[in-house]
Amino acid sequence: MLQALKLPVQPMTEPMTLLEIANLTKSFGGVKAVEDVSLHLREGIITTLVGPNGAGKTTLFNLITGHLRPTGGDIRWQGQSIVGTSPWKIARLGVARTFQDLRLFSHMTVFENVLTVMEKSAWFWQSEAGSVSERHRRVHEILDATRLLHKADVRANDLAYAERKFLSMARIMATNAKMWLLDEPASGLDPRSYDRFVALLRSEVRRGITICIIEHNLEIVVSISDRISFLDQGRLLADGEPEEILGNPELSSIYFGERS
Amino acid sequence: MIAYLVNLATLVCINAILAVTLNFIMGYAGIFSLAHAVFFGVGAYVAAFIALQWTDSLLLQLPAAMLVAGLISVALALPALRVRGDYFVAASLGFQVLAATVFSEWKSVTGGIGGLVGIPPASIGGHAFTDPVEFLALAGVTLVLVVVLTATIVRSSFGRSLKAIRDSESAALAFGKNVALIKTLSVFYSTAICAVAGVLYADYLSFINVESFTIDASTLFMAMVIVGGIGTVWGPVVGAVLLTLLPAALTYLPFLPRTEIGSVQQMIYGLAMVLLMIFKPDGLMGIKRGEA
Repeated sequence: MLQALKLPVQPMTEPMTLLEIANLTKSFGGVKAVEDVSLHLREGIITTLVGPNGAGKTTLFNLITGHLRPTGGDIRWQGQSIVGTSPWKIARLGVARTFQDLRLFSHMTVFENVLTVMEKSAWFWQSEAGSVSERHRRVHEILDATRLLHKADVRANDLAYAERKFLSMARIMATNAKMWLLDEPASGLDPRSYDRFVALLRSEVRRGITICIIEHNLEIVVSISDRISFLDQGRLLADGEPEEILGNPELSSIYFGERS
Repeated sequence: MIAYLVNLATLVCINAILAVTLNFIMGYAGIFSLAHAVFFGVGAYVAAFIALQWTDSLLLQLPAAMLVAGLISVALALPALRVRGDYFVAASLGFQVLAATVFSEWKSVTGGIGGLVGIPPASIGGHAFTDPVEFLALAGVTLVLVVVLTATIVRSSFGRSLKAIRDSESAALAFGKNVALIKTLSVFYSTAICAVAGVLYADYLSFINVESFTIDASTLFMAMVIVGGIGTVWGPVVGAVLLTLLPAALTYLPFLPRTEIGSVQQMIYGLAMVLLMIFKPDGLMGIKRGEA
C-alpha cells in the first residue's frame, strides 16, 4: 500500500542521474537499517532525505561513502558500481560528506582543517592541488564565505557551536567533489545562521554542486529542496517534488508520529 | 667530571632522538606504541652485527639499520594498524615481549643474554669517533637533524594529514586521505629514525644486551613524551633531558643510601606523573587546553 505512494518519474524533464542506488539493503544482525531502497540522485539539484530518527538516512550516507558495506543491492556513481570501494577512493571520485557529529579535526586550526582537505596526496608533493599560494588563497576565500576568517588560527575545538557547523561546511567546500552528502548541517542553528546557511547552499548549487541533505527543520526543507525522498524504518516510502511529499497527509502523520 | 657530563649529554641526545620519534607517531598519528624499544634494539643489533662482522662505517650501518627496522615495523603495521586505539597498545606490548625474548635467545646474532661486546667505534670516511667529545658532537648533530626533519614533516601536508587522521579517522577517509598508507609511512619513518638512535647507542657503548631494549625502556620513552608534552616539537626533548638526568641527579643527594636510589627513583617518577597529570595534563611544553 505504501509502495503505491511512489511517484512516477518523468524522464523527459529530469536532470541526469549522478548517483544511483538500486535495491540497497543493510542489515545489522537481525535489524534491517536500510531495506530495498532504490533512489536516483540527480545532477545539479538539492535532494532532501526526510524521515523520523532511525529511518536509515545516515546509514544510507555511510553506505554511499563506503564507511559501511551493503548487505545487498548496488550503488552506481556515474554508471560505475562503487560497492566495496574504500571510502578515500570514493571521496576522490567526487563524493564528499559531512557528519552529524561534525568530526572536525579538533586539535587543528580552522585554517588547517580546510587546507588539509585540499591536499590530495599522501606525499609532500601535491600534484593536483595547485601551488601552495593558490591553495592558501582558496582557503582564504572559503573562510571568507563561511565567515570564519577571523577565526582562522583558532583550534576547531575552541569554536562556538554555529562556527563549528560552518567549519564543517567550509571543509566540504574545500573538496572538489561534485556531490555533497550533508547530514543535518543546519540543526541547532539560530534563524539568522539558517538564512546564511541556505544562501550558502544555493550559491554552491549554482556553482554546479549536487547536494543530498538530511534535514528535520521543515522550514529549511521547504526552502531548499528540489526533490524530497521520504524514508521510514529503512524503507523509501516516497520520492518526488516537495509539494507532493509535504502535502501528503499520510507521510506527515508518520513524520509527526501520529501513527495509528 | 667532564667525561661524566659528556657521557650524560650523549645519552640525553640518544634518548631525545628516541622520544622525538616516538612522539611523531604518538602525538601526530595517534598511534600509541609500547614497542619503541624493539626498534631501538633492532638498530643497535644491526649496527653491532655489521661492525663486528664487516665494517665500522656509519654510512653503511645507518641505512642498513634504518631499513631493517623500517621494514620490520611495516610488516607488523600492516595487520596491526587495522586494530584500533587500545587494541593497538595491547598488540605492541605483545610484540615488545616477544622481541625481547628473541633478543635474548637468538645467540648467533644478538649474543643472547650476554649481548655483544667489543663493538668498534663508528667511523665516517675513515675517521673513527673514538673521542667521547667528538661522539657527543655526532650525537648532537644527529639530534638536531632529527628534530628539524621531524618538525618539517609535521608542518607539511603530510603532517596535516597525520593530524587529521589522529583527530578523526573516519572524516580523514571521507576527505580522501589514504589512511592506511599514511599511517604505514609514519610508522616507517618513526622506527627507521629510532634505529638511528640504536646505531649511535651500540657504537657509543661498544657493548649492548637485551636489558636496554625491554618493556622498561619502552615505558621510559613513553614517559619522556608524556612528561615533556605529547604532540609538541620540543616536549619530547625536554622529557628526555629530565628523565635521563633524574637518576644521575639523585646520586648526588647525600642523605640517600646508594642501594635505595632505584626505589626512590621509582617513587619520584610516580609522584611526578601524578602531579603532572593534575597540573599540566598536556605535558611541560604542552599547550594549555582552551588556548588557541
